[in-house]
Amino acid sequence: MKEDIQAVNQQNAFEKVVEFVDERVGLKTIQAKMLNEPIPGGSRWAYAFGSVLLFIFILQVVTGILLMFYYVPSTDHAYASTQYIIHEVDYGWFLLSYHFWGSSAMVVMVFAHMSQVFLWGAYKKPRELIWLVGLALFGIVMGFGFTGYLLPWDQRAYWATVVGVEIMDKTPLVGDFLARFLKGGPTPGQMTLSRFFVIHVMVLPAALAGLAGLHIFLFRKAGPAGPFRGTPEEIKAKTDYFFPRQIWKDIVAMATVFLIICSLAFIEPVVLLEQATPDPGDYHPEPEWYFLFLFQLLRLKIFGGQFGQFLGAIAIPGAFMAFLAALPFLDTKPERNIFKRPVALIGWTVIMIFILVFTVSAIINREFLH
Amino acid sequence: MQPKLTAKALCGDKEVGKISKVIVDPLSHEISDVVVRELDGQGAERQVPICQIQEVVNEEEIVLRCSPDEFVRFPLLERDQYVTVKEVEIAHLEDHLHVEPGEILVPLPRLEQGVPRRTFFTNMTHAIGTLIALPLVFPVLKYLMKPMFKPYDNAWFSVGNIKKVSKENVGFQFKFTRGFKEAFMPEQQIEKNIWVVKATPAVQKEVYGGNDRKFFDDKGEVIWVNKANSPYIGYSGKCPHLGCGYKWRKTKNFPDGVFLCPCHLSIYDEAGKVIDGPAPRPLDILPMQINASGEIKIIDIEYKAGVNNQIRLL
Repeated sequence: MKEDIQAVNQQNAFEKVVEFVDERVGLKTIQAKMLNEPIPGGSRWAYAFGSVLLFIFILQVVTGILLMFYYVPSTDHAYASTQYIIHEVDYGWFLLSYHFWGSSAMVVMVFAHMSQVFLWGAYKKPRELIWLVGLALFGIVMGFGFTGYLLPWDQRAYWATVVGVEIMDKTPLVGDFLARFLKGGPTPGQMTLSRFFVIHVMVLPAALAGLAGLHIFLFRKAGPAGPFRGTPEEIKAKTDYFFPRQIWKDIVAMATVFLIICSLAFIEPVVLLEQATPDPGDYHPEPEWYFLFLFQLLRLKIFGGQFGQFLGAIAIPGAFMAFLAALPFLDTKPERNIFKRPVALIGWTVIMIFILVFTVSAIINREFLH
Repeated sequence: MQPKLTAKALCGDKEVGKISKVIVDPLSHEISDVVVRELDGQGAERQVPICQIQEVVNEEEIVLRCSPDEFVRFPLLERDQYVTVKEVEIAHLEDHLHVEPGEILVPLPRLEQGVPRRTFFTNMTHAIGTLIALPLVFPVLKYLMKPMFKPYDNAWFSVGNIKKVSKENVGFQFKFTRGFKEAFMPEQQIEKNIWVVKATPAVQKEVYGGNDRKFFDDKGEVIWVNKANSPYIGYSGKCPHLGCGYKWRKTKNFPDGVFLCPCHLSIYDEAGKVIDGPAPRPLDILPMQINASGEIKIIDIEYKAGVNNQIRLL
């Protein structure tokens, strides 16, 4: 007891405050629980994608809030205020370009994260719910890309939205309602901008924050899956805690991604096209690069006509998402080693090649059109 | 000595069952009952109050105060009336609970045993985090500060004709509109107002103290001089207390009229002097010129409210 009192007396002010809070909420226990998470088979660079996604999201929130200091979501000021951010405000071009490239980085990381989970077989029992919430988060990230694209209100923004909403319109039963709901009327205009803005800055961030919290909670409940091969003894021998080795790998990965996004913002800063009008002029409408493969798909003859369009734009992507959602319930074999799951490996490779081929052919087509 | 959860419960010499659960009072954090699972029959669980324990023989055995016949009269445990401590959050419950010989321990993974570089990792993690955050501080501050400081606008604005002011030592309001351009917004017309007083020589003396009043631009150069004997005085429409708009009012205490701010009841006389209320300085005098036809022109200066000295904002 005497030693305790002496120890308390030797604490500095900061330690005393920590001690005060800890006594009331058990901060140190919480911190220990967060950091001492055993990682079966040890930390790996491949596990960093989730943390990097969280990091990119936080910086998207920060840069997004900063952009809102100047941005005005009205059809007569959206373009002017975005130009003002780019050309007048100190470092405005950088923050806007960071936000722009950050969104691309987010999509790339979502692909990497999902691929890693898929290849590691980490969606299998007991982690089905983490996978499902993850799919919802994937949808939200895509929603962010789609809604954010309209906000600068230039030709690129306007036309991507026109086409995107026309695609949603082809959804059976709810399509017409959904398209009118998003447009806030029969044609895109101020109501569309207001709706996209509030979805982009309020609805989706709240949904993403909540679901990401649930995602991490479920992940902590189930525990990390660990490597897909190795005997229990080998895995146990290599096991370490989240802190320090995995956190170290995570933060190095974060710093790398941060530097890449910054470099892209410097090398290729955002430049707006003409202000949006319902006349495209010389502009060839095109969605953001991560939607290009879907865009190119809809140019194929077999997806022509009303039914073909429905097939290409709604049915196939919808069926694919439904398949991904059903995956942990269809694929119930406990085998996680990707080299012993030939269908999964071939399926993943085929999809990656499909996306790559269609994206590249969309780019080639673009050159041709110009 | 604490009996183990599997300790035998004896009545006299006869074993009637084994302790299977312990019930804790959530307020006092003390054990109120033990639950004894009967040896015979269905293994029914009976709830035995702690006071019925006569003696804890050792960790393996306790002795109850009752006879084996009396034991079966203890009530059966109603399991659905209880939750386990894992299912409920009771502050500091575990602090006092020592049913088992101590904390339940889990061994550290071999890789985490005596990690010599734990501190190194911590410091490097903090260093990289700082390297990400620090370069953003200056750009973000500059970004946010863009519209905060603007050069002074020393243009003259026409606010009306002086012929409207007839009575001496009475406040007279002039409204005027001026162009205002902000960031990316198109130029707007905004409405402002000033107060003009036709001052008697006594009031002029009170306002200027016999000295000409000079006005400066941001480089410290004189842009205008109000003569000490000029008969008309223009006051900025902004109350020097906290920036509200004040009015000329006749009140019971001041039947001749005073400048009264409706927000915090600062009261100024016709010379702008504070005669009551919380204002820290007199009304702000504007640079004013009147041409031969009686047209009043002013420079639209605004000062910071709530401070003793005039600090120019606009």
